[in-house]
Amino acid sequence: MSDQNKNLDAKNLDAKNLDAKTIDAKTIDIDKWLKAWKAHGAYTLSKHDPHKDGIAVSAFLPLTALLGAAKELYQNKFLLLDLSALEAQEGYVVTYHFDHLESSFRLAFRALVSRKKPSLPSIHPIFPGAEWHEREAYDFFGLTFDQNPNLIPLLLPDDFAGPPPLRKTTAALAPIAKLGLLGQVEILDADFGALIGQTGGLSS
Amino acid sequence: MTSGPLNMVNPFAVLESPGTLAGDFYARSFEKKAGPNRVILNLGPQHPSTHGVLRVLVELDGEYVVRAEPVLGYLHRMHEKMGEVKTPWQYIPNMGRVDYLHPLAWNWAFVGAAEKLAGLTVPERAEYLRVIGCELNRIGSHLLWWGAFVMDLGGFTPILYAFEEREKINDILQIITGSRLTMANFRFGGVITDADDRFIGLIQEFIPYLRKRLVMYKGLVTDNVILRRRLEGIGPMDVDLCQRYGATGPILRAAGLPRDLRKDCPYGVYPKFNFPIPSGPVNDSFGRYLVRLKEIETSLDIVEQAVNSLPNGPIMMDKAPKVSFKLPAGETYFAVEGARGQIGVHLVSDGGKNPYRVKLRAPGFSNLSLFAEAAKGSLLADAIAILGSLDLVIPEIDR
Repeated sequence: MSDQNKNLDAKNLDAKNLDAKTIDAKTIDIDKWLKAWKAHGAYTLSKHDPHKDGIAVSAFLPLTALLGAAKELYQNKFLLLDLSALEAQEGYVVTYHFDHLESSFRLAFRALVSRKKPSLPSIHPIFPGAEWHEREAYDFFGLTFDQNPNLIPLLLPDDFAGPPPLRKTTAALAPIAKLGLLGQVEILDADFGALIGQTGGLSS
Repeated sequence: MTSGPLNMVNPFAVLESPGTLAGDFYARSFEKKAGPNRVILNLGPQHPSTHGVLRVLVELDGEYVVRAEPVLGYLHRMHEKMGEVKTPWQYIPNMGRVDYLHPLAWNWAFVGAAEKLAGLTVPERAEYLRVIGCELNRIGSHLLWWGAFVMDLGGFTPILYAFEEREKINDILQIITGSRLTMANFRFGGVITDADDRFIGLIQEFIPYLRKRLVMYKGLVTDNVILRRRLEGIGPMDVDLCQRYGATGPILRAAGLPRDLRKDCPYGVYPKFNFPIPSGPVNDSFGRYLVRLKEIETSLDIVEQAVNSLPNGPIMMDKAPKVSFKLPAGETYFAVEGARGQIGVHLVSDGGKNPYRVKLRAPGFSNLSLFAEAAKGSLLADAIAILGSLDLVIPEIDR
C-alpha cells in the first residue's frame, strides 16, 4: 500500500522532473560527411546554404553504397526523416533526408535510379522505419527495394490498376541540374557528371 | 469452402486451405506469416480506438500481441499529386486538411518552404501572429488528444472538458482564420487577417482560465490511480527506437531527448521567446502523457509573451506575391515542430507554374511505424494504450 502511495506521490508529476534541458544548437560537421561519402565512392558532393535549402550537405551515391552510408549515419546519431523520390529526365532521384539528434539542419544523400531497372537496395536493415517510406515510393513511382521485408501497397489500394501516380509524362520531365538538387557541386565521377550534364571540377 | 457438421462454415478450414478467399489482401498477406494456434484479430478501420480510419492487424497468443501490422490508406487523398497539379497559391488550403488538429503548422511548413525558395521575408507582426496561431492550435491539438486518449482507456468525461476548452480556442482562431477546423490564413509573405482587440482580449482571458483548468485536470485525471496503472511501464520507447523509426515530437522528448525545432533549428520569431522544452523523465506511455500536458503550459507561456509584445506594423510584405506567383527553380526542405513532431516539406520547382514535386513528411507516419515493434509482447488492451499514446491523426499519416 505504501508503495502505491509513493507511486501516486504528486511530487512525481511536478514540473521539477520535466525541467528544461536544451541542446546547444550546432550545425552539422560538413567536411566530415563530404569525406565519408567520398570514401563510399560518391559520384557528386554538394554543399548547400542550409538557411535556404534546409539541408547542409548532400551527395549522389552509388546504389551499392546506400546501406553502408545509412549505417554510418545511424552510428552518428542521425534519424531518417523521409525518403523523397522524384522523376527527372535522367531517371528517378531518391533523396534520403536525415536529421541529426543534436544539431541544427539536416543532410541528405541521393541515388539516381534508371528507368530500365527501377530498383534499389533497401535500408530497412539499418532503419526499420524505412520500410514504409520505401513502400510509399513503390506505390507512387513503382520503384522496388530489394530486401524490403514487406513490399506490398501501403497507401494505394492493393488492386490499383493505373500507372504509378507520381511518374511524369516525358514532356513534363526536367533535368536534375535545373531542379537545384546540386547546390555548390563537386563532380567526382566523370561519367555521372556527363549523364547529368555537368563537367568535372567545382561549379555552382 | 468446407462445411462443419452443422453445415456452418468452419473458419479454421478457410484459413488453412490455400486459394480460398478469407479476408482481404492485407489480412491474407498478414496471416501467411502467422504461427500455429494463433488468433488473427482485425482492429478497424472503423473502431473507436483507432481514431478515425486506421486499421491494425494483430496476431494474438492468448491475450498477448505476437505481431502487429498497421494497414494504411483508408484516408489517402494524394495530397502530393495535388501539389503538382495546382499552383502554390491554390495548394495552401490543402495544408489545412492534411492534419486537421494542427493545420497552422502545416500552413507554416508549406508557406515557409515556398518563402525560402523565393527568398521572401515576412513582416514581424505577421511572424508573431503565426506563432500565436500555431501555439493556440497546438494546445487545441494536445487537449483533444488528451480527451480521446483517456476515452480509449475507458474514461469518458475528460473529452467533454477538452472539447469545452477547444471550442474557446476555435472561437479565438476563427477571428484570424475564418474557420474552425481546416484553417489556412498563411500566405506567401505574411498572413491574411490582422488581429483585432477582441482577438487579444479573448486570449488574455483564455490563458489564466486554462492554467486554472490544468490544475483541475491534474487532480481529476493525472493523479487517478486507474489511469496510472494503465499507463505506467506500458510501451517504453527509448531514443534508439525513435532513431531507428524516425519518431519525433513528444515521443522523442519523452524518451529523454529535448529535441524541438522551435529551439534547435529555429524558424519565425521563436528565438525571441523564453520557454523550456519538456523532456523525460520516463519513456513509457505515462511519460508521453506528461510531456504533452507540460507542452500545453509552455505553449501558453509562448502565447502570453507573444501577445504582450505584439509589434505594430503590416501583416503582409511589400510587393507580396500575387495569385500568379511562380516558384523559382530550385529545391528546399523546410521543417517545423508540429504537435506530433517534425513536419517537413520537400519542395522542388523547375520554375514552372506548379511545383515540380511536393513531398510531405508527416510526423505521425514515422511515429506509427514503430507501433509494431513497441506493441510486441504486450497485452492487447495495453497495445490500445500504446496506440493512443502515439497521438495519431490519420489524414496526416495517409496524406
